[in-house]
Order: sequence, then structure tokens, then C-alpha cells
Amino acid sequence: MPVIAVENLKYRYPHAEALALDGLNFTVEKGEFIGIVGENGAGKSTLSQALIGLVPQFYKGAYGGKVLIDGRPADTTPIAELCCKVGLVFQNPFNQLSGAKDNVYEEVAFGMQNLGVPREEMHRRVENALKMLDIWQFRDRNPFDLSGGQMQRVAIASILVMEPDIMVLDEPTSQLDPQGSEEVFRTVDKLARSGITILMIEQKIEKIAAYCDRILLLHQGHQIAYDTPQKIFSRPDLEELGVRAPAFTRICRALGATLPDGSYPVTVEEAADRLQRTDALPPPAAPVPSRPVLFEIQDLTFSYNPGTQVLHGINLCLDARPTAIIGQNGAGKTTLVKLLKGLLRAEGGSIRFRGEDIAGKTVAALAAQVGYVFQNPDDQIFRYNVLDEVMFGPLNIGMDEAQAKEKSRAALAMTGLADKETSNPYDLELYERKMVAIASVLAMDPDVLILDEPTIAQDVRGRQCIAGIVRTLSEQGKLVLAILHDMDFVAECFDRVIVMAQGQVAADGTPRQVFADAEALQAARLDPPHVTQLCTRLGYEGVFLTVEEFLTACGCKE
Amino acid sequence: MKSISLYIDNGSWLCRMHPFTKLAYIAAAISVPLLAGRLWLFAVFIALSLAVLASGHLLKRVVPLVAFSFTILITIFLIHGLFNQQNRDILFSIGPLHFYREGLLYALHIGCNVLNMLLSFAILVLSTKPSELVEELEKRGFSRRMGYIIISVFQIVPQMMGTMNTITDAQRSRGMETEGSLATRAKAFLPLISPVVMSSLINTRERAVALEVRGFAAKQKKTYLADRTPRRGDKPITIVLLALIVLAVIWRIVQCL
Amino acid sequence: MNLFKTKFDAATIVLIPACIGINYLGKMFASLLKLPLWLDSIGTCIGGCLGGPVIGAICGAANNLIYGFTAGDNITLIYALTSLCIGVAVGIMSRLGFMKSFPKAILTAVVAGLVAVVISTPLNVVFWGGTTGNVWGDMVFAATQAAGMPVLLGSLLDEIVVDVPDKIITLIIVFFVLKGLPQKLTALYDANAKVERLD
Repeated sequence: MPVIAVENLKYRYPHAEALALDGLNFTVEKGEFIGIVGENGAGKSTLSQALIGLVPQFYKGAYGGKVLIDGRPADTTPIAELCCKVGLVFQNPFNQLSGAKDNVYEEVAFGMQNLGVPREEMHRRVENALKMLDIWQFRDRNPFDLSGGQMQRVAIASILVMEPDIMVLDEPTSQLDPQGSEEVFRTVDKLARSGITILMIEQKIEKIAAYCDRILLLHQGHQIAYDTPQKIFSRPDLEELGVRAPAFTRICRALGATLPDGSYPVTVEEAADRLQRTDALPPPAAPVPSRPVLFEIQDLTFSYNPGTQVLHGINLCLDARPTAIIGQNGAGKTTLVKLLKGLLRAEGGSIRFRGEDIAGKTVAALAAQVGYVFQNPDDQIFRYNVLDEVMFGPLNIGMDEAQAKEKSRAALAMTGLADKETSNPYDLELYERKMVAIASVLAMDPDVLILDEPTIAQDVRGRQCIAGIVRTLSEQGKLVLAILHDMDFVAECFDRVIVMAQGQVAADGTPRQVFADAEALQAARLDPPHVTQLCTRLGYEGVFLTVEEFLTACGCKE
Repeated sequence: MKSISLYIDNGSWLCRMHPFTKLAYIAAAISVPLLAGRLWLFAVFIALSLAVLASGHLLKRVVPLVAFSFTILITIFLIHGLFNQQNRDILFSIGPLHFYREGLLYALHIGCNVLNMLLSFAILVLSTKPSELVEELEKRGFSRRMGYIIISVFQIVPQMMGTMNTITDAQRSRGMETEGSLATRAKAFLPLISPVVMSSLINTRERAVALEVRGFAAKQKKTYLADRTPRRGDKPITIVLLALIVLAVIWRIVQCL
Repeated sequence: MNLFKTKFDAATIVLIPACIGINYLGKMFASLLKLPLWLDSIGTCIGGCLGGPVIGAICGAANNLIYGFTAGDNITLIYALTSLCIGVAVGIMSRLGFMKSFPKAILTAVVAGLVAVVISTPLNVVFWGGTTGNVWGDMVFAATQAAGMPVLLGSLLDEIVVDVPDKIITLIIVFFVLKGLPQKLTALYDANAKVERLD
């Protein structure tokens, strides 16, 4: 008997018109690792919540069909019983904390307490889980004081200790740095090997392709396909469904390198087996026209608490090239950009913006020139329609009503929100609210745009939209400075990459220079882009960064 | 994260005492003087509370608490000393202001009552971890939902304060001035408070899901990580305190007869 | 329609601490800006409107009890009864549809203000001899006492001067907060929601 059987599942949220899920049919066997992919709004999260009975027991609404977990119906079995069988980890680690415990150890035990697990057993399981996820050293810390990646591991541990047979993970790595998400993937793989059935929703398509046995492809609530990764990612209509195949698959497809069954490779190993080594070299770097310097940073130091310095003497010159800052969580990236924005005051050294020291300026005074989009859009939204929200900044910096409206409309068009002008921002989904936040800074028409992890929660379409913004601003001679964890995106859109590690600049140069610098990447615990990994495996001399570049050199097109 | 609880574990005997013993003390300290209706009993309990706080090295930390209620106490002395309806005998005068004996005595009663309550509560508040108190209550049958609400408040308030800082930064980044004249600050009120109120309400949706998936609604008897057995001193102290309350009740009944 | 029907699931349980946090925030802002208002029942009113009178009551009472017992502010303890009644009153008014439009919300505010006055006045008289601890209100009280009016009447006036404007501002804020909340959130608190079958 399959552990999960879904039969003609339909669901509609209360007060909604469209079905969020429409006619899903699939089964999962014990120990399988299933990936769920699809664009934002495809119904992935709704499905994950249907597997543990939250849909419909918690949300109500309209429900049809059946979900059987070990033969028990998920729509009527109380969630408190179902949660011993199915564990759910979701995207936002912050909201997954119980909010009732002031240290990690007790936080992890919260679920077991509710289920009445005996004391000795609780201690044993908590210790095991914390050690397995490498968070044992934080056991006495307040969970709210941890970084996103650490919090997410606490959330996984909290579910793990309840020893479910099935784990459902809804984009658990979206907030993590590359190393952190690799750790989570490895942990999840370990769990899968130990016999736990895994269902995972994920935008990191190369990872899904490497780890999953089968993939469920959703689009607008419909089940499009349920098959092996090779079959799914070989589909010609993938881009139309808002999903992008792994870089390796796209290359193999263009080069006609197939597996025996006619589908295309999906992992770096499979691709490397099928491809021949060529001597093609990447195109020589186009000469970059010199651009005026915007920021001069000299011997910059900073610390939040006396004694633990976060930045140790940063020296940088930033011009208008689109620049990405990469590095592990805690490397000092956000601290650096907050200093540039004047939100923090330098402890030592100086920051000059267009030749003027910013030490004497207030944040509001810098606002017109330097825009900064915060990670969480909910920290700024306070108006009840999108246009008013976006106009707040422009009006603050002295634009008149007409000009502010014009700039705001332009910004909304750039972020793909032109038709949402009159919506209440709180009715929008998180990925749309993130775009509202970007638009509200774009509308102020700053010379510098700082983005803090803009690709989180965005699907392929959202990422293309952000790529477009980077390109447009760069053409206008403006500096886009982005903190990013997505190396493929960095390679595709940025001309300069700064690697930070332990509060210092570990490398600085063009993407090609930086991603060839194995030593710096290792120091910062970063992996190069997927195409670069493939080239290394094939023993290429030149460093290719993107699929397009690779294919052009080979003389073909995607 | 800054806590709103005033508890700090300073390792004193008070911190190790069972929370219920401290609750019994509060009950006795408040009810005995009120039942007996003697001013000197207030003084006894105030002195006792101060002595207990001193031996628990908490005297310094009680000062801000007392200072906090000082303004209201002064108002009471002023209003009643000057205007109480029962005022007959002038005790002293400052310029044109005449302070009366009856009013001041009445104010003294209220003042002693407030101070007594404050100090006896301070013993509990300063030396008890809120989650410990709630856990002990839950073990004695207190609703675990109520328990969650109480503990959660201690997490959510500092969290909201932290969010306020981020929000201030986010709005300043959009060119909003937060410093300056009263009008400027008043204009900043809505952009600052609105996101924290809205997001804390909106976050409840996911927080509720998080509780559901961790068996919050389970019917099983809850278990606890820590095992706190009452110490040797706890039982006799509680008995003495409860006996005092009973005695005061009897005394009151006898008086009325 | 049962006015007091209440859902006691995770959604409402989690709502209560959030509301208590909002109360705290309002109170902090009022004292930071030195406003002659309390603003410490915004959350209680939101709780009452979303979860109904019972949740409102719990928000109100728990608010004062928690701060009283653990944050050392035991003066608020005795006003737990007032907060409880405000929560109930606003909850009932909201269930009767008196939060649907702005003028109706003002009416709710007046009701909440009067409830606060009726409950608080005896507490003021018993515990403080009539004062409220609010500068403006206590000036009124002092004036009435100087004029020889009874304590109860003076204290009543003291409360009216403070509580009615306070509740009006509070409910205006609450009205706009509720207006902005997405339906996918408010639907969670609907005590009458049922799962509809699609097959």
C-alpha cells in the first residue's frame, strides 16, 4: 500500500473563486523522495498543507476527492494525530517557531511535549536531532536571535524529533546561503535513506534534479506530470509552465546529448558522461567602459558589540557596474550595505559618496540618492493600496504629486505590478509584496539601488523581472548593488562580484575572475555556478559562466 | 533580545524557591493586613518583603518599580490631603495650601496598601522565570492554551520591539524623517506603527499552522523537560503563610460578631 | 446567531498574544509621545472584533494579569475587569455589525468608553480614593473635590474625560486595521465556517 494516495483532490480557499488544486492524482511509496515543482501560484504550498490535513481542517473552504495517509483520510483525521505521521517544514523559519520557548533546546521539544513523549525520551531525541543538524552549540540560545539558516535547521529539528514517517518540506532552503542549503539537502537525503518518505517543494531546480526519485509538476492547480526528473525536465513546454530545466539539461538538449531512453541528463554527473570535451574558449571579456566612482570606502570597520568586530578594514571603490556581493550568512554583507546607506555608523575608516563623507548625513537625506530594499517587505508596507504605498518614498523626498505618480507607475510597470495598482498590498502574495517593496524604492529614482537577497521567494518569471531591472538601471548609468545567494543569477546579470568572508573582502573582480578563484570561493564556502561546475568536471581550461555563453562557444543556440 | 520579564537568575535562594511558595506569600501579604485592618500590619509586611528582597540581593532592582508608582502615590496624597470630604483638622500648611489629617491618613492607608502589594509582587516577579511559573501551573491542571498565551506574550513583545527598529530603518530609507519637530514625529507615527501591527496579525496565520503541525491540539497529557520537586523549605513556609491568612479571617469574623 | 460562539483553535490562541503585544505597543507609543491617552486596548478591541466577545475578554483580562504578575506593574492588575468588559463589549458590538462602517465604529467606541467608565470608577474609588493616574483626568478630579462634590461623581467625571476620547481614538485605529486585513486571514476566525464538499 502506498504511504500517500491522492485521488482527484480539489480545493478552493474560502472567499476565493478559482480552485487552488484541481484534480490531483498520485501515489507515493514508502521511502521515496518526491520533488514538487511549478511557478508561484501553482498550488504547491496548498498541496503540502493538504497532506497534513491543514487543508481543509484549518483553512475550511471547499474540498473534494481524497488524500489518504497510510490509509487514513487527511481531511477528517485530526491534525494532532496526523502530525505524528506527517511533518511539515515551511518557508519562513521565523514563523515556524512556537513562540513559547526561549531556548533552542526547549523549542525543539515543544511538539513532543504536546504529544506526551516521556521525559528521558525527549532529552534523547532532542540531543540526537540537534547534533545531526549541527545546531547543538546553539541549544541555550534564544531561537529568535539565530540567523535565518540556523532557525530553519531548528525548525527541521523540531519536526524531526516527532519522528514522522513522511516529511513535507515547503521551500526549506530559500532563506539559506548555498552552503546552508546544501547542508539541508544532505540532511534530507540522509533522512530519505533512513526510510522516511520526503516530499519537497523547491525552486533550486538543479538540487531537486539531483536528489529526487520522482517529480510532480503543477501548473495553476493542475497536475501536469508525475515522472522521473529526466522525463520531466526533458519536456519541451517547461518554460511555458514557468519552470526552467537544470542548466545541465538545457546544455545537453541544445547539443543533442541524450540518455539511452531519449530523455536528457539532469545532473552534472550524467551530463559530464554524455558530453565531449571541447577546446572552445569563452569569449574574450568585452572592454568595460570606465564609469564614474560612486562610493569610496576606506579602512571601514564596524562592530555591533564591543569586542566582536563584524567588518575588519574594508577598502572598496564602487562604480556604476552592476555589482553582486556574495558570501556566507554572517560574513558581514548586510552590515556593509547598511553602512553605505547610513543606517549604521562606521566605527573606523570612512565612506565617501560622490566625494562627500556620508558621516554627517541623515538616512533620510541620503534617501533620494541611495535606495535600499529591505529583505522583508512587511517591515515597510502601511498603505492600503499599492500605488499609495509606492508613492510614499517619492513624496518624502520632495517630488510633487504628479511626478511621484508618474515615477511610481513606471516602477510598478518595471516590477510587473502594473495591474495591481489599486490592490491592497496585504492581499498580495509574498513574492508580489517583495516586488512592491522594490517598486517603492525604484520610484524614488535613486542613483544607487541596494537589494538584499531579491531573488528569495521568486520563481523563474520573478527572477527574469529582477534581471530586467538590473539591466535597465545599469543602462541608465546607475549602480545596482545586490546581496545574493544564487550564483547562476550572479553570473547572468552582474559585471562585478565581491566575495565577503569573515568581515573581509576575499575576492573582487569580474564574475569570470572570481568564479575561477577556487581558493577564495572555498574561503567563503561558496560553489561556482552550475555551468562552471560542469566545465570543471569536463576539464575545460576556460571558465564558462552561463548556459548561453557555453552554447555560443560550442556554436549552437538554446 | 531584550526581555520584558524582570527576572534575572542571580543564583539566590529566592530564585530556587518554588513559585507557588511565592504566590502564597503574595496572598498572605495582601490579605492579612486588609482583613485585620491594622495599619501596623502593613508596616510589618512591607518590612518583611524588604528583608526578603534584601537577602535575595534584589533590593536594588526593586527601586525602579517603586519609583514607577511614586507619581500616582504623590497625586493621591495631594488630592486627599487637600480636598478629601472628611477633612476637619489642619495638620500643616504650605502657603495657601492646607493639608488635613483625615485626608492624609486616608492617603497613607492607600499608600501602604499599594507599597505592600508592590513589594510582595516584586518578590515573585524579580525572582521567578515566567515559563517556570506557567509550567508549574500547567502541571497542576491550568489550561495549556492559557499557558501558551502567557509565555508567548513574553516572546512576542520583544520581537515586536525588534521589528520596530527594522521598520524605522526601512521608512527612513524611504526618506521619512523621524527626528525633528512634534509635527514631524507625529507624521511618522502611522508609517512606524502600522507595519508592526499588521505584520504581527498576519504572521499569526503561519504561527498557528506551526502550532497545529506540532500537535498543539493533541489530547494527550503533556510532558515536561524539567523536573522541579519542591525544596525542603517550601512546604513549611507555605503552611505558615496559609495559616496566617486563616487566622486573619477568623480574627475578622470575631471582630464582626 | 449566537453572539458568544467562539472558536478555540490554534488560530485564535495565537491571535491573543499578538493582540496583547499590540496593546503594549500602543501604551508605549502613548507614553513616548506623552499623549493624554492610554491607547492600551487597541489589541483587545482587535481581538474582540476578530474572535468574538470571549476572545476579546481573554485578551483584555490576560493582558492586565500578565503585565501585573510578571512585569511588576501590579497597578494594572485590578483593572483586568475593565479590560475584560471592554473586550466583551467590542466583541458583541462587532458581531452585531457595528464595526462595518466608520460612524458605527464611533458608536462602538462610545459604548466601549462608557463600559470602561462604569467598571473603572468603583475600582478607582476603592483602590485609589478616586484618582486614575492620568494627569488630565486627575486635574478634573481635584477640581470636583475642591468644589465639594461627592467622590463617586468626581471619579466618574475623571474617568469620562479620560476613557471616552481614548476609546474613540482606539476604535478608529482598530477600524482601519481591520479594513486592511486580508480576507484569507480574517476567514480563519469565522466561528461558523464549514468545509464544503466539491464531490
